[in-house]
Amino acid sequence: MSSILPWILLLAPLCSAACITLFALRWKALSSFISIMAVLLSFICSCLVFARADISAPQFGWIDVAGALKVPFGLTQDQLSKMMLVLVSGVGAVIHIYSLGYMRDDEGKSRYFGALSLFMFAMLGIVVANNFVMLFMFWELVGFTSYVLIGHWFYRDAAAAAAKKAFITTRIGDFGFMIGILMLWMATGSIVFAEITPRMSMLTSHPTFLTVVALLIFCGAVGKSAQFPLHVWLPDAMEGPTPISALIHAATMVAAGVYMLVRVAFVIQTSQTALLVIAWIGTITAVLAALIATQQNDIKRILAYSTLSQLGYMVMAVGLASNDASMFHLFTHAFFKALLFLAAGSVIVMLHHEQNIWKMGGLSQKLPITFVTFVAGALALIGCPPFSGFFSKDAILALAYQRNVPIFAVGLFTAFLTAFYVIRLLVIVFFGKPRSEVARESRESPAVMTGPLIVLALLATLGGFAFFARRFLALPIEKEVAVFVPAVAIVALILGSGLAIVLYRNRASEPLDLQLLRHKFYFDEFYRWLIYWTQELLAGVFAFFDRWIIDAGAVSGSGRGTLGIGALLRLIQIGNLQAYLFLFGLGIVALIYFAVFH
Amino acid sequence: MSYLELLKLASTEAVVVVTALVVLAIGLTTRREATGVTVATAQGDQNVGGSSSARTNAICSFIAALGLAIAIGTALMLPRKATLFSGMLVITPLTSLFKIICMALAFFAVLLTKSEKSLRHPGEYLAILLLATVGLMLLVSSEELLMIFIGLELLGLSLYVMVAFDKTDVRSAEAGLKYFLFGSTSSAFTLFGISLIYGMSGITSLAAISEKLATVSVQPLLAVGIVMTLIGFAFKIAAAPFHLWAPDAYQGAPIPSAAFIASGSKVASFVVLGKIVLVGFAPLHGDAAWHAMVAGWSPVLAALAALSILVGNFVALAQSNLRRLLAYSAVAHAGYTLIGLVAGDREGFSAALFYTTTYAITLVGAFGVVALVRRETAGDDFSNFSGLISRSPMLAGCMSIFMLSLAGIPPLAGFFGKFYLFSVALRADAGHGLLWLVAVALFGSLISLYYYLIVLKVIFVDEPSLAIASSPDHLSPDLLQRIAVAVLAAVVLFLGLMPDALAAGLLAAMP
Amino acid sequence: MITLGDYLIVSGILFAIGFAGVMLRRNLIIILMSLELMLNAANLSLVAFSRFRVSPAGLPNYNAQVFVFFIITVAAAEVAVGLAILVALFRARQTTDVKDISELKF
Repeated sequence: MSSILPWILLLAPLCSAACITLFALRWKALSSFISIMAVLLSFICSCLVFARADISAPQFGWIDVAGALKVPFGLTQDQLSKMMLVLVSGVGAVIHIYSLGYMRDDEGKSRYFGALSLFMFAMLGIVVANNFVMLFMFWELVGFTSYVLIGHWFYRDAAAAAAKKAFITTRIGDFGFMIGILMLWMATGSIVFAEITPRMSMLTSHPTFLTVVALLIFCGAVGKSAQFPLHVWLPDAMEGPTPISALIHAATMVAAGVYMLVRVAFVIQTSQTALLVIAWIGTITAVLAALIATQQNDIKRILAYSTLSQLGYMVMAVGLASNDASMFHLFTHAFFKALLFLAAGSVIVMLHHEQNIWKMGGLSQKLPITFVTFVAGALALIGCPPFSGFFSKDAILALAYQRNVPIFAVGLFTAFLTAFYVIRLLVIVFFGKPRSEVARESRESPAVMTGPLIVLALLATLGGFAFFARRFLALPIEKEVAVFVPAVAIVALILGSGLAIVLYRNRASEPLDLQLLRHKFYFDEFYRWLIYWTQELLAGVFAFFDRWIIDAGAVSGSGRGTLGIGALLRLIQIGNLQAYLFLFGLGIVALIYFAVFH
Repeated sequence: MSYLELLKLASTEAVVVVTALVVLAIGLTTRREATGVTVATAQGDQNVGGSSSARTNAICSFIAALGLAIAIGTALMLPRKATLFSGMLVITPLTSLFKIICMALAFFAVLLTKSEKSLRHPGEYLAILLLATVGLMLLVSSEELLMIFIGLELLGLSLYVMVAFDKTDVRSAEAGLKYFLFGSTSSAFTLFGISLIYGMSGITSLAAISEKLATVSVQPLLAVGIVMTLIGFAFKIAAAPFHLWAPDAYQGAPIPSAAFIASGSKVASFVVLGKIVLVGFAPLHGDAAWHAMVAGWSPVLAALAALSILVGNFVALAQSNLRRLLAYSAVAHAGYTLIGLVAGDREGFSAALFYTTTYAITLVGAFGVVALVRRETAGDDFSNFSGLISRSPMLAGCMSIFMLSLAGIPPLAGFFGKFYLFSVALRADAGHGLLWLVAVALFGSLISLYYYLIVLKVIFVDEPSLAIASSPDHLSPDLLQRIAVAVLAAVVLFLGLMPDALAAGLLAAMP
Repeated sequence: MITLGDYLIVSGILFAIGFAGVMLRRNLIIILMSLELMLNAANLSLVAFSRFRVSPAGLPNYNAQVFVFFIITVAAAEVAVGLAILVALFRARQTTDVKDISELKF
């Protein structure tokens, strides 16, 4: 019995997705019911699996090409994956229930729940995968389903564009990831984690190879976890429904990158160079995103940039070779960020889909439950003791202080910025006077939405305490610097909050105007320019080739041939078919030249 | 050897040829009656002739399908190994497997033909289709240059006619002419190349050529001969820059012809190309590693592969007709498949064959969807596909499976095929010399994702245009064809989940 | 004394003339004729190779000569198919000029 539990928890969402798409597309209530039952089943199974130490799922051979390539289909069952299972299915369940309220009147509710189930399946698959091929497969499936979910309101151009951007940007990272997997497989002859681990020692004599492999694998995480320089998709992904933002940005898709890095730490930690690069990429992402967040006006975008920044912290911890600290922050972040997004969603729905913070204000009286829970999440995010974020962020900062002081300094500055923009958000949205009609008339959300908020608020508050967290994961060891680092962090926190309160109390509009930050360091513009030019240039060249050379004859038709070059030009103009044949001949000549004289 | 034994070994081909003749005879006799009726009942009444033609079509298709099924049965009963006339006809597990695959592809092409209304002479069309299948089987099962050339010509001549077959459409004849001129020119090149190879080695059987070539050094005349020989195959698989016919032929030809060119012809060409380079030209492999190219056929194929991947994917970006898009993507896929041959050895060959087989299955399915949509909306531009999900969720679902498989999204067959190919290419060379080619291919597949997604967007997101939504020509659904498409989609999914079923078989069948 | 090289040069020139004709001439019938020229160039080189590759018994290598007979047959079939397509096209377009045959493009 117990050995099939892991399979049940993995396959339940898949069955739900299949049922919904095949049979239940027309009955919205039924499909949401199926989907929620499936995720609850997954959650219960996860808890059971977590509670029992001796569970081992049977694995079976999946692909076996004459010994050249063996891919088993097996499930990893260690502390790490069990913890993630509970986290993913737990947060997933909360978000499913919340979605009932949020998507109440949506036309595509069935489609939404179907995709949500498929997403849960893919995400749980990443968590339990025990080899690179499975991991990559579920990884791609996550990318695909998130494309569907972000683009749920596809009739909005922005949503469709954002979905495409998310998909394509993460694919760029996957490109490197796949090469990395292939190279590792080539070198070790296996793609199963447990088999590669002992073989890594064979490779220690090739440090450059290891660095390249580690960095290529890291590319995958850069895409999925939206690290600099592929971070641009995440804020745009806010065009999706808010529960999706919570799901993608809290416990799951973006965390998948960090989880993957921890899962393959045995590769990454063999190269000091790669670790250093990873740590700095994380640090840069953290500070960059925090800077940008200080000047945004859309409530969800601010949260999105804060997610980027927190992910930066996690990647930084991976780069500092501490899986524990990284997972600890992932764990607490999952709760408080899901909480913040869902609370923001509650605000947004009650304000009739208004997302601009300058049209809000004074909501603390109108939405008391939302307000209290949001404050809990915000305090956890800025790392205010005794909320959960304080403990996990402190662990990372302490680590940085010991291993790399420049990174510590930047991390501390990021903490200051975090406090600044979160308190700014809080002050503008919940205090002062309502700045618009909708804000004046808003009222509290229904219980199906506030219920999950309260649950998450409790978790966000308590999640950092050792008595709670230690049940789930190995906490980083206490350091002797335990007094200095928290003290400095709290000073940064107080400075940031104080500055925000002074600046934004009773303001009706933005007092600062930093164009560079407001335009997100012009990353989008730069990428658009880059893509535009490469794509246009190449497509243009080929289109020119195909259209002009071949079509010119049909248009002008003049073919008065002379000798020499004239005759050649005539060839180009003579018309369709023979232009083809000319290119054909050219190709042959080139090939012969290549073969004979190379 | 007695003739009876010979017949036993060639029974598969014989059954298909006989079927072709029977179908041709039926087509000719019933057609004459139908014409008589039409003439008799004045000009306006086309219905009688039309329904009679449809009935002929159904009978002929049924017989052709039956014949192919019997032939597949005989192919299963072939001995494991046999060689006739020093390699002119060879039977190995590999050739038997690919004979079956080719006939299965022809079978689906026959099913597509059944609903093709524009074909006024279904009997003749099906007979030619079956003869083309014989050409495929000869190509697959020969290891001798003369026989390969004859198989190539039999296949080519049948396909030229099949492309130009639709006399109601001017574009069909134009496509046929382009395909014909391109094809005959490139087969002339191949022939000239063969004559040079023969001149160097004095023999035409592949194994013997290999022995002879091992003793000579690469001289210009030989290199010219090799390149020229390869050109005929580069044309057949539509590798750039010999691909220019493909978009026109795919767009202008009747759909079953296009599907057959894209699937059967391609699979058989890859099998025989692999045999020629890996068996016949084995001593002149050369090296396609980026910094250490050594003259031989592999750098030539590598150059073709890289060019095809880039040209195919980039030009496909700008297409708005689904058939042309499939054609350009076919160019790119030919490039991916060539990587397997460049990698060489058994594994590379089996990876290439796995890829091309799954690709062929996918494309037949995709053309099946195109045929059904074309029948309803009389066109195959993107606009004809808009909002397909609301008109036929089943077809939309199948099409998305085909497109995602072509794009290489797991867990579909295309993903594993690409993975297998690239990994073989990377391991082929201790110094990872083919990394550049794999990088080009990955880059190409990154681009390709974009246009496949555009197709999906058109199907799932766009509103059906008014003209299509209110089209009165909603025919009764062709159940058989729908089932065929669904079966193909299921196969694609199955080969993605259980690639072993084919890949292990291929590897075991490799000589 | 005419050597193998001479035959090969003639055959190469014939092949080149044929291909040039296919590329340059506009009349489809002449293009078909040029195609035949290319095939015959190959025939010539095959026969020459056969003649100059004498076995120890003093006989030429007959393999290639058999090959040539097959090629002649195939060439005839090719012309038949080519002309048939040409006729179909002529009925639709009333032209044999390749320049006018460019409806399918891009």
